[in-house]
Amino acid sequence: MTNNTDYRISDIMTCAISNMLQDNETVFHGVSSHLPMVAMKLAKSMHAPDLVHLNIPGGVNPGSIQHSSYSSAGAELLGTGEAYFPLQEVFDLSMRGKLDVAFLGGIQFDINGNVNASVIGNYHKPKVRLPGGAGSAVLIPTAKKAIIWRTKHDKRTFVEKVDFTTTRGNLWRIVTPLCVFEFRHGKLHLESIHPTSSLEEVQENTGFELIYDKLKYTSLPTKQELQMLKKIDPHDYRSIEF
Amino acid sequence: MKKLKSLKDAIQIINDGDMVSFGGNVLHRAPMAAVREIARQNKKNLRLVKTAGAQDIDLLCAMGCVESVDAGFVSYESKYGLANHYRKGVQSGTIKGNEHACYTVICALRGASMNVPFMPVKGLNAGDLLVENDYFVVVEDPFSGEPVTLVKSLVPDVAIIHVQECDEKGNAIIYGPKFEDTLLSRAAKKVIITAEQIVPETKTKLNAERVDIPGFLVDSVVHVPKGAAPSSCYKKYDIDDKSISSFIGMKTKEEMLAYLKSYEVKDYIGERMGRR
Repeated sequence: MTNNTDYRISDIMTCAISNMLQDNETVFHGVSSHLPMVAMKLAKSMHAPDLVHLNIPGGVNPGSIQHSSYSSAGAELLGTGEAYFPLQEVFDLSMRGKLDVAFLGGIQFDINGNVNASVIGNYHKPKVRLPGGAGSAVLIPTAKKAIIWRTKHDKRTFVEKVDFTTTRGNLWRIVTPLCVFEFRHGKLHLESIHPTSSLEEVQENTGFELIYDKLKYTSLPTKQELQMLKKIDPHDYRSIEF
Repeated sequence: MKKLKSLKDAIQIINDGDMVSFGGNVLHRAPMAAVREIARQNKKNLRLVKTAGAQDIDLLCAMGCVESVDAGFVSYESKYGLANHYRKGVQSGTIKGNEHACYTVICALRGASMNVPFMPVKGLNAGDLLVENDYFVVVEDPFSGEPVTLVKSLVPDVAIIHVQECDEKGNAIIYGPKFEDTLLSRAAKKVIITAEQIVPETKTKLNAERVDIPGFLVDSVVHVPKGAAPSSCYKKYDIDDKSISSFIGMKTKEEMLAYLKSYEVKDYIGERMGRR
């Protein structure tokens, strides 16, 4: 499918993530997480009005995410929120099994659901020291659904075997600029391909053999979704990582 | 004893080799004036602790003050990219990068606040962090027989927390997100508060239930307006984009010394202003 000028990859990813979120779910995002933050706000504005938006500064259900250009952990989220529920309590909530969805990052992933956000090379003398997994190592095992998003999809990201396992197991979905993976029965399965990409392109950019039952395509953003995105994210923070 | 001190005097209580922890989170309310003073005083072999840090950790790594960093995440946010001085230090082997899961730093500080040697942590039950780090141990729960992960408590020698308001006794009020700062004030052996404003005790007394850190836990109080800059300070100022960007671009020690020098007047201005 050819490029359509009405939407971009960041819009497809944001809408795909938004559609994974359900009403009444408790959902958390951390730092450097503009795209999921916008997706949460989109879901809340469209089909999930009672979704509970949790974040690091501790603002429950922030009313606005428009002034957070450089940070998804700024005070605005609390200043426009309805209650204070800070990070340490979000972690405790997840440990009690009451966090429905957590958004996490990572640099390398393999077919067995191993996630690396720590190092390239040896842990004690790394070739590249990465920022670290932040909450991943405790949230991926405890949140009901862990969603990973990554704005790069290449053979250095989706590898045969990760250099280091920051955490593993209990992933739910990985959303990339090309496709959505689902983790089931211990393996990453190709869940859907964005209509802007193709099976060939996904395979060419993935370091392991793709597993899929039947080919599905990710839903494209609807007109209503795109209109709402303009309203809730006028400064296009969802595209910061692109 | 008088707690209100100059920035220089307050930072002098930090010894080489101390475990030091900073308040705030990534680009927000980090006690940057104190961090710059630590660098000016050329402290060595510090063991830094923070759930998620950015320029605080990066600057001290750049200036050769750091032996190890215990943190869940060390990076600027998306727009600014990675903490390159920290990275280089860990990659060259001069700094030990002890990766945590943010929550394990919180649990390790909770352990310190309760004066127990370790804390059980749920969630951390798979992967290489457990294998490679000696501060995580999996043992058998003596009650259920199930495996349980323990994290060794982290007891900072000194915690430095920047707040909007503090009185001369050290009663400190944080506006906006508190991050892990109140916990940190209970976990550390000594607490230094740097404050935008030194307010009269009568004012904190009127808002006693708003005091986040009671003065009896505090050893030093320093008046440093703009003491979190270039990170943000809620209700006071937003980040200083230019300063952060220019620092990230710096390569040589000379550039960084000049950067520290450029903040000297601002960092020491509180001493001359007195109480406001």
